[in-house]
Amino acid sequence: MDLALTPDQEMLKSVVHRFVQQEYPKETLLEIAASGSPTPSEPWSKLAETGWLGIAVPLEYGGEGGTLTDAGVLFEELGRGPVPGPHITSGILGVFTVLAGGTEEQKREWLPLLARGERTLVPAVTEADYGWEQEDVRLAAHRNGAGFRLNGSKVYVFDANSASHLLCAVRSEGGDQVGLVTVPASAPGVEVRPLPGFSWNMAEVKFNDVAVGESDLLGLSFDSGWDALQWAIDRTIPVLGAFQVGGCQAVYEMSVDYSRTRVQFGTPVGRFQRVQDHIINLVNHLDSARWTTYEALWKLDTDRPAQESVHLAKAVGSEAYHQACNYAHEVHAGLGGMTEYGLTLHTTASRTLYHYLGNPRFHRLRLADALGL
Amino acid sequence: MDFEPRYTEEQERFRVEVREWLKENMPEDIVHPPDSIDLTYEQYQKRRELGRRLGDKGWLWATAPVEYGGGGLTVDQSVIIEEEIDEYGLTIPPYYDTGGRLGGASILVWGSEEQKQHFLPNIMKGRVRTWQLLSEPEAGSDLANVKATAIRDGDDYIVNGQKIYVGSSFGADYMWTLLVTDPDAPRHQNLGWFMIPGDLPGITIQPMEMLISGGEGGAGSGEKNTVYFDNVRVPAFNLVGGENQGWKVATTHLELEHGAGGRAARRNWMVDRLFEYCRTHQRRGQPISKDPEARDRLVDVFVESEIARLFGMRNYWMRHSKTPMTYEGPQNSYFRKMSNLRQATYILDILGPAALTYDPELGAEDGHMEAFQRSAIIGVHPAGTADIQKVIMARRIGIGREVREKAGALA
Repeated sequence: MDLALTPDQEMLKSVVHRFVQQEYPKETLLEIAASGSPTPSEPWSKLAETGWLGIAVPLEYGGEGGTLTDAGVLFEELGRGPVPGPHITSGILGVFTVLAGGTEEQKREWLPLLARGERTLVPAVTEADYGWEQEDVRLAAHRNGAGFRLNGSKVYVFDANSASHLLCAVRSEGGDQVGLVTVPASAPGVEVRPLPGFSWNMAEVKFNDVAVGESDLLGLSFDSGWDALQWAIDRTIPVLGAFQVGGCQAVYEMSVDYSRTRVQFGTPVGRFQRVQDHIINLVNHLDSARWTTYEALWKLDTDRPAQESVHLAKAVGSEAYHQACNYAHEVHAGLGGMTEYGLTLHTTASRTLYHYLGNPRFHRLRLADALGL
Repeated sequence: MDFEPRYTEEQERFRVEVREWLKENMPEDIVHPPDSIDLTYEQYQKRRELGRRLGDKGWLWATAPVEYGGGGLTVDQSVIIEEEIDEYGLTIPPYYDTGGRLGGASILVWGSEEQKQHFLPNIMKGRVRTWQLLSEPEAGSDLANVKATAIRDGDDYIVNGQKIYVGSSFGADYMWTLLVTDPDAPRHQNLGWFMIPGDLPGITIQPMEMLISGGEGGAGSGEKNTVYFDNVRVPAFNLVGGENQGWKVATTHLELEHGAGGRAARRNWMVDRLFEYCRTHQRRGQPISKDPEARDRLVDVFVESEIARLFGMRNYWMRHSKTPMTYEGPQNSYFRKMSNLRQATYILDILGPAALTYDPELGAEDGHMEAFQRSAIIGVHPAGTADIQKVIMARRIGIGREVREKAGALA
């Protein structure tokens, strides 16, 4: 038993930590959030240059060949920003889906580009009846000569507004199978519309008679697309969990600092047990998320049965980030609500990630199945 | 990271050795009454005998130093022993005893060499059973407010006063306790930490009537008692850590009792029993576990128990790898207490009133579910109430204060 990070992971952690402080300070994050364009060229290209977007890409495909725990360490630090994507969506979920479902040729085409951040591939799965079950996918790929035509839309697609390419879940014509097709976000007929409001980089993607080639179908078949996506989602969930842990850690540290410096009634507010209760609830959520997440990463890295742990990590991690932000707001009161303070960056991210890849309720139901109840 | 003790071939051989040894030395017909107050004296003696055999083998307090009667073994070996005895539904030690885990740890840190030689081997080898005597009618959450006195008289101390919520059924060989050695000294500088033989004249033990004994230890304690000291003459040798140094000595066992020790065993018998019951018992023509509402609640129980398991494992690792702790001990204790209480509510939802009776026909799991309903609420308060754990967490985190309080010394 050894719950410490390896020396290499400790080093990665501190390098990423410094990178986020330097390249994504609060002012930059606020600017990005205000601009509605999450990939300003400068910090994103620096992030791509680090090679971290290829952390999960095997060496043979031009990546770093890291473990999932390595990815967890990286994304925990990015989560402290919270640094906007499309990093997990493309570098983890996109990469794993291609790895699991792509032909050798597709892997050779996509993975090196994704590792270098020269392309980003963001899965677009959910539709109007929001859900992560296969039956929720309705968008059909209609046969058209040597390829397909897409007509319809994907909604609440996380990171779609910053993707160069979309990996779109589509139903085979008249069929019961779901496959995945790659579509350039700039292709004629594709319209990406960012959703305004209390959401973090969510968009609607409309497909208006979009032409897709036969070779753009992942694995060149509808047989294995959904399974590949599920396999990839299982591996992405605890990495996303680590990102949420980083977010919890950031709002925890913010809250402890504030409890020491904010004076009311002539004393630091952290001397009041009501305020202490909020921070204690916060740290309990933080640590619940941390240890369920890292245990799931470890199980996946060591090829242990991990289904229960994956559902547990998503259910606990997403609840934790959501609640941690709520408690941080209690500690900060009015100040926490002011955009320039920075807490609301996390609050906003926590709501979107709560639903991304299935909400806690969805994963609790699946956990019951996994437990054989 | 590695969430499982990794075993070398040599350690796997050790596991086989432990397993074989337990098979040979495990007393027959060990039973586990849901409420430990129903444990018979005969059953208690079987557990004591097992404890002595484990002690002789060096497996009772496996990681304690050999020169003081421990096993001098590695953490991984102690985990192997705990896992193997867990298969019998038992813990280390297999009976209520606070000598090796708490009192002994304080003696190891603060005792003189002579005291260590005198007290520790008997504790570590399971020859004696030890109680802790901390709470008093005026000293609950405010433990430093103890009133019982130990006043120096020649080579002895004369002890007078009253301690409550003490120990277990069937008495103890030693009692370790905090007493006022200087009534005029300031708070925290007025206490002495004593190891007192249980058979000294002037000690009276009177059982308390409680809903259940509660307690955090794996082994149920059975009865709780009031202990009266009436001019009890205790040799000065039994004062550990020096006069008026008692609070310092206490920080070690308080730290451990507040959850810093952690736990490595993986099975949760309560959850296993609950799941098994719900899979095998029908309601409206289907297993309870298929009922959508019960199913939701069963998952809630599982999630709670997983987080509690992980916190325990983290602390176990931190302690044994000597990773500095701050708030993790009281967090573990706080979370486990409140989590048990939440789980009890979920189980009350799942099982309905069947959770409230140990009637052989209508109760669930031979009364284990009913006993859990009682222990979940009573267990919130021993060993530092849940609220006190939060107070300690706040100080350790440094909420509202720049200087963070340090954790007690464990070694």
